[in-house]
Order: sequence, then structure tokens, then C-alpha cells
Amino acid sequence: MEKINIICVDDEREVLDSVVRDLDYFSDVFNIEECESAIECLELLEELDANQEHVALLISDHVMPEKSGVELLTEVELDPRFLGTKKLLLTGLATQADTIKAINNAKLDNFLEKVWDPDELLQTVKELVTEYIVERGLDYQDYIDKLDAPTLYRLLK
Amino acid sequence: MKKQLKFILPIIIPLIILLLPASSFGIEGLTFVEQRVIAIFVMATLCWVLEPIPIYATSVLIIVLELLIISDKGLWFTKVDSPELGHLISHKTIMGTFASPIIMLFLGGFFLAMAATKYRLDVNLARVLLKPFGQNPKYVMLGLMIITAVFSMFMSNTATTAMMLSILTPVLALFSKDDLGKVAFALSVPVAANIGGIGTPIGTPPNAVALKYLVDENNISFGAWMVFGVPFVVVMLFIAWLLLTTLFPATTKQINLNIKGRFLKTPKAIIVYITFIVTILLWLMGGWHGMNAYVVAMIPVAVFSMFKIITKEDLKRISWDVLWLVSGGIALGVALDKSGLAKNAIDAIPFATLHPLLLIVGASVLCLLMANFMSHTATANLLLPLVAALGASMHSLLPYGGEVVLILAVTFAASLGMSLPISTPPNALAYASGHVQTKQMAKVGVVLGIIGLLITYAMLYLLNQISFL
Repeated sequence: MEKINIICVDDEREVLDSVVRDLDYFSDVFNIEECESAIECLELLEELDANQEHVALLISDHVMPEKSGVELLTEVELDPRFLGTKKLLLTGLATQADTIKAINNAKLDNFLEKVWDPDELLQTVKELVTEYIVERGLDYQDYIDKLDAPTLYRLLK
Repeated sequence: MKKQLKFILPIIIPLIILLLPASSFGIEGLTFVEQRVIAIFVMATLCWVLEPIPIYATSVLIIVLELLIISDKGLWFTKVDSPELGHLISHKTIMGTFASPIIMLFLGGFFLAMAATKYRLDVNLARVLLKPFGQNPKYVMLGLMIITAVFSMFMSNTATTAMMLSILTPVLALFSKDDLGKVAFALSVPVAANIGGIGTPIGTPPNAVALKYLVDENNISFGAWMVFGVPFVVVMLFIAWLLLTTLFPATTKQINLNIKGRFLKTPKAIIVYITFIVTILLWLMGGWHGMNAYVVAMIPVAVFSMFKIITKEDLKRISWDVLWLVSGGIALGVALDKSGLAKNAIDAIPFATLHPLLLIVGASVLCLLMANFMSHTATANLLLPLVAALGASMHSLLPYGGEVVLILAVTFAASLGMSLPISTPPNALAYASGHVQTKQMAKVGVVLGIIGLLITYAMLYLLNQISFL
């Protein structure tokens, strides 16, 4: 079974903890990683890539010191090593200009507003991870308990 | 009308050939089977030149038509016994072309290339190997060309070109608008990939097709091919580099290729590295261990499948079309040979009066011309069976090295056709970058095609002098 990671990035510790808590549902099958800055996330990505682990989903806050979430997601989008990694922006403080950039340059897969509904986040993550697994040609049967069935049927057809 | 013609001609002309009386071909004792082979051959030529259907589909069509009308298990009315029927070909032989050892050699090559790409051996090697070439555009280009050529000896020319262009594109964007260096760089990659393919038997499909005809006393091992193939690639690359840097000098003083990443050190990646090295060594040392190149090629297939390095999903992404394209060419050769047509036709046409050198030059120039306008593999599929049959029957060729020289000259010529965007997939990819005009590509391609042929002749002359072949 291939190792699949979900990375959460937020500079506020409490927010990060609460995202991770909401994603606890996935933690027995997928590896949930926490990063407190974009820089830390990029370092983690290098490390995961060196071990040939998958990064199915990157959930990032936008407003962070040093490097913003949109900048981080754009960088990942342009890196051929992370082709197919799903990107979710989770923020309450994005201007229209930021949002335009996020869609056009970072090719966001999903956008959720803070404060989020835990069920909605869970469902979104389910769908995105399912898409990643099918698109990358991984064996979905290993993870089927945690995947979104309608998405799976649609993509396998 | 013109559009319909390319569909109508490949149907009508072969049908006319089938319906003509056997005596109208000027070949004494032409059998029905031989006449049908002529029709299939003409259909294949028209389909590959006019491309009404994809080129690999033509190959499949050849095999299926052969099974239907010239095999021992074909349609009932094609087997009606008569003195003029001729030899029907075993259906197993025809179907066997799908899994001929040459196809297996290529499959092994595909497995190596896929694993190398998946575990980023290619990109990481490119990163490390490019470093010593510094930042002077001239030398960076030389480095790029050498690496592209080396990779395309083992990977498909198209995949190598795509990888190198993806490294190059961000750098080309930084060049000023009217810097000719952009043209040189964009052209250097497909040129090097096309040339590099000549270096090994698995470098490009035409080489594989040639192997089909290099059998028995003409057999060339993997290592022996590289002994002359690699020096040829080196000389041609150097000439191409000089040509590109003089025609399109760069005004930019410094360029910086930035390739991210590091060598993977996971157990799977290490298996890939070891298998890659061992397979190539086994190929080169063919004489020592008794295995030929075809048998060695199956080793990576087994290893990568066992360790899930090439997964079920990867398997679906293998270029079956390329394998089928080659199979069709082999089937065409089988039909010409086994039906007896090749021998009969050559006896009927007075080739013996032709000067052998004229034949070598004529055949290779024709091949070069065709390869510029259509698929290299299809060109080789059509010309090599004819050339091989001719070469085998012409005793006047012997002082010049015999059949092998003729086959190699034509094979090399097939890879040298690179003057138009449509000549090869690598050319098309480079053209798509938008930095190259057709005129510029043609200038480089024509010069390299002609120089390449001349060097091929010189090399074959030398090899014959030292009785290497």
C-alpha cells in the first residue's frame, strides 16, 4: 500500500489543530501532516518526495508571514513532481485579487471559507482524495473505506 | 476531392492489382499468393504515405489481411487448390510477428525507460550531467545535446525530447525576443534525439526493423552495433552543434538551467538503478554470458513487474502503437519472403546490371527523402524488406560489404530525415514551442541529412575495410 499524505498549513496553531482534528477520520489510512508556514511545507514536500510518498491534498491558509498560501499553492502547481496534488484554500481573508490569482495561477481545486463546517470539509477532502487516487492510477481498493463512492463511480466509469 | 482521394486510392489500386491477370506483372510464374502480397504491399505503401488511417492501424490491417487472404487458415475461397496458388503462409508465423523477439527487445526498452522516468533517473541524471557544462550558452547547449542523445539511445526519442524541452522552456522564456540562440536551443534537442536514436539497436524503431534482416552470418550484436553507432552519433552531434551555434548564435551571455530534485534513495528506486545498469552491461557483454539482446531485454520486464515498479496502470500506458507499427513491418517482410515473391521479383528485374554503389546511394537517398515526409518506422517497414531481398541476391555487392552495408545505409538514412515539423514527433514538439520557424528547421535538417548520409557511407567503407561487418 502506497503512503498517501494530506498536508495542512496554517500559521495559527489553534486553527491548525482544529483542521487536523476535523480530519481525524482519515488518520488511520492517510498520513496527516501539519505545517506552520509555507516554508516548512515546502521542506516537508521535498522530504516526502525523496521518499516517493504521495501528496494527495494540500490544505492551506492564505494570509501567512513570509510566503502566502496562494504563492505556496502556485509553486506546487508548477512543480512537475507534484502533478495531480489537489489544492484547497481555507481562508477568511482573501481579497478578490487573491482569489483570482488562486484560481488562475494556483489552479485551486476547492475554496472553503473560515469558519468552516466540519462536515463540509470532511466531504470535500473525501472527494478530492478520491479524485487524486483514481487519477494517479493507485489501487483504490486499499483505501475504499475512506473514499467518496459517487466520485469513485463517476471516475471509474 | 483531394480529401476523398486518400481514402479511395488505398482501396481501389490494391483491388485493381488483385483483379489483373497474373501475366501482367512481368514476373514469370507469379502465383496467386504472390499477387495478393503485391496488393497488400501497395495498400500498405499508400496507407503509410497518405495516412487515411493511423500508421499503426495500417500495420494491424496488414497482419489481418495477411491472415485472411494468404494464410493457411484464411477465407475458404483464398485456399482453393490450383497449380498457380503458391505457398500459403502459416497463420502462426503471421500472428507471431506481434511477439517477435524484436518486439520483446523493444518492450524491454520501454520498461527501462518507463521505470527511469517514474523514478526520475532521467531528470536527476540530466541535472548532474549538465553541471560541468557551466553557464555559457554554447557549452550548455553541447551538454544538453550530449545528454539528449545518450538518453534517446535507451528511451524513445519523443519522450526524451519532451523531457528536455520541459527543462529548457523556462530558460528560453528569459531570452530576449530577437535572440537567435532560442532557435538553436529549441532545435538542438530534437536534432540530438533523432541522431542519438541511431546509437543502439533499441534507440529507434527503424533499427529494430533492420535487426529483422540482419540474421545468420549478417547478425549484429547489441555491443557491435554500438561500436559503430556511438562514434557515428558523436561525430554527427559535434557537427550539429557547430552548425547550430554558427547559424543561430546566442547573444545572451549566461544561462542557468535550474532542475529541482535529488536522487531518490527508496528501495524501489535503488532496484531501478541496479536493473538499469545490469541490463545495459548484459547487452554490451553479449558474447560472455551466452544470452542475446532479446533474452536480456526480458530481465527488466520481470524485475520491474515483480517489485511493482511498473504497475498494472503503468502497463496500460505502454506505447502499444509503436510495437504494433513495427510488427506490421515485420509481417510485411515475412509475406514478401515466405511467399517467394521477393526472390521471384528480383530474378525478374535485371538489378544485376546496376552498379552496387548506385544501389546503395539510390536506396539511402530515397529512404532519406521518404523519412522527411512520413514516419521513420513506416519508411523502414517499406524499404528494408525490399532492400534486404535485393542485397541478398546481388553478388556484385559483396566487395562493398554485401547486404549488411546496404541495410545499414538505409536504416541510418531513415533516422536522418528531420527537416520538417512533420518528419518526426521530436521535431513536431520543438516546433510547437513557437521559437522555431519551418524554414530554420529545414535548413538544419537538410544539411544534417546530407552530411549524415556522407558520414554513413564513409563509416561503412571503413568498417568494410577492416572487415568488421
